[in-house]
Amino acid sequence: MRRLFPLSVLRPVLQTVLGPTVASVARTLDRLIDDVIADVVRRVDLDAAVRRLDIEAVLDRVDLTATVLYRVDLRTVVREVLDQLDERSIAQVVSRVDVDGVAQRLDLDAVARRLDVDAVARRLDVEAVLDRIDLTTTVLRRVDLKAVVDAALAQVDLVGIAGQVIDGVDLPEIIRESTGSMASDTVRGVRMQGIGADQAVGRAMDRLLLRHAPRPDDTNS
Amino acid sequence: MSGGTVGGGVSPIPREARPYQGRRAGLVTRLVAAVIDAAVVGLTLLAGYFGLAALLFLVDPRGFSMPHAGLVFSLAAAFAVTVVYLTAAWTLSGRTYGYLVMGLRVLGRGGRTLGFTGCAVRAVFLAVLPIGVMWVAVSRENRSLQDLVLGTAVVYDWQPRGANGHPQE
Repeated sequence: MRRLFPLSVLRPVLQTVLGPTVASVARTLDRLIDDVIADVVRRVDLDAAVRRLDIEAVLDRVDLTATVLYRVDLRTVVREVLDQLDERSIAQVVSRVDVDGVAQRLDLDAVARRLDVDAVARRLDVEAVLDRIDLTTTVLRRVDLKAVVDAALAQVDLVGIAGQVIDGVDLPEIIRESTGSMASDTVRGVRMQGIGADQAVGRAMDRLLLRHAPRPDDTNS
Repeated sequence: MSGGTVGGGVSPIPREARPYQGRRAGLVTRLVAAVIDAAVVGLTLLAGYFGLAALLFLVDPRGFSMPHAGLVFSLAAAFAVTVVYLTAAWTLSGRTYGYLVMGLRVLGRGGRTLGFTGCAVRAVFLAVLPIGVMWVAVSRENRSLQDLVLGTAVVYDWQPRGANGHPQE
């Protein structure tokens, strides 16, 4: 402890005396080193050094793919490339592509399966398509009209429809009026008169016999 | 029977008469038909009488005199002609001439066509007791005495050929 004592006393003194000198020396050394490096660089023949460099070996040690992928802004590069492409260069590229070969290698069925035909159909201007087609001629030439008519008639109850029509226009009445003789008119009149008289007699007898309940809808059963 | 078609075909029956088809006929219609049938029977009897007279005249012109038919014979002849006429007419078409004029048809039980035996029995019953038809006025179902006993019915049926014999079913 006694031997160290003088050092601890001297340290502030030495720092005060030598500090500026040491700093000055350090600055001088820094400048000197910079000058030396600049001079070395100026004097070194980099081209010759590069010529002596085994670039292949360097490249082998570098993962260029990863470097490009991670360090290059590919999006910008592609955009620039596309901006510089013109129709002519595209045409050149296309002319060198075997489109038929590509088409043969394509799985068109898979493409068709993925195709949204409904969406395509929605975009289709059907009216315009129909305007360009002579449907009448197409139907007349390509449709078996007899088969169509037969199929339609097979689903229609012609007899039933005819019955409804005849009933609607009351064809029997028309025939009676056009061909009816006095005799048939007389018979019809007599029969209707008879029916009316029957009902009148029935009602009269009901009143006479004090029957108030309505007559059953009498049938032949 | 109110529709315009029968069995898928077109009905020739006038619209106003369609609702009544298949219903039991009332007294007036049946009486009118009965009168017509009686006239037919009377004409037949007259024709028979004059036919017989003509035959007698041909056989013996000199001794010819109009034949004299007794009451019993006349009644028997009328009875026989009535029964034969009614039976034949009902069996063949379900209607006599009187029924045809008035648009009636006689049906058996359940609306079925009346067979020969039924027609014969009904004809005999009617010839024996023609007054039985008056029960139609009393019956709420327009049944005559014959109808009540035999279960038959007389219905309006204007169909010319009687498409199915029992229009209501």
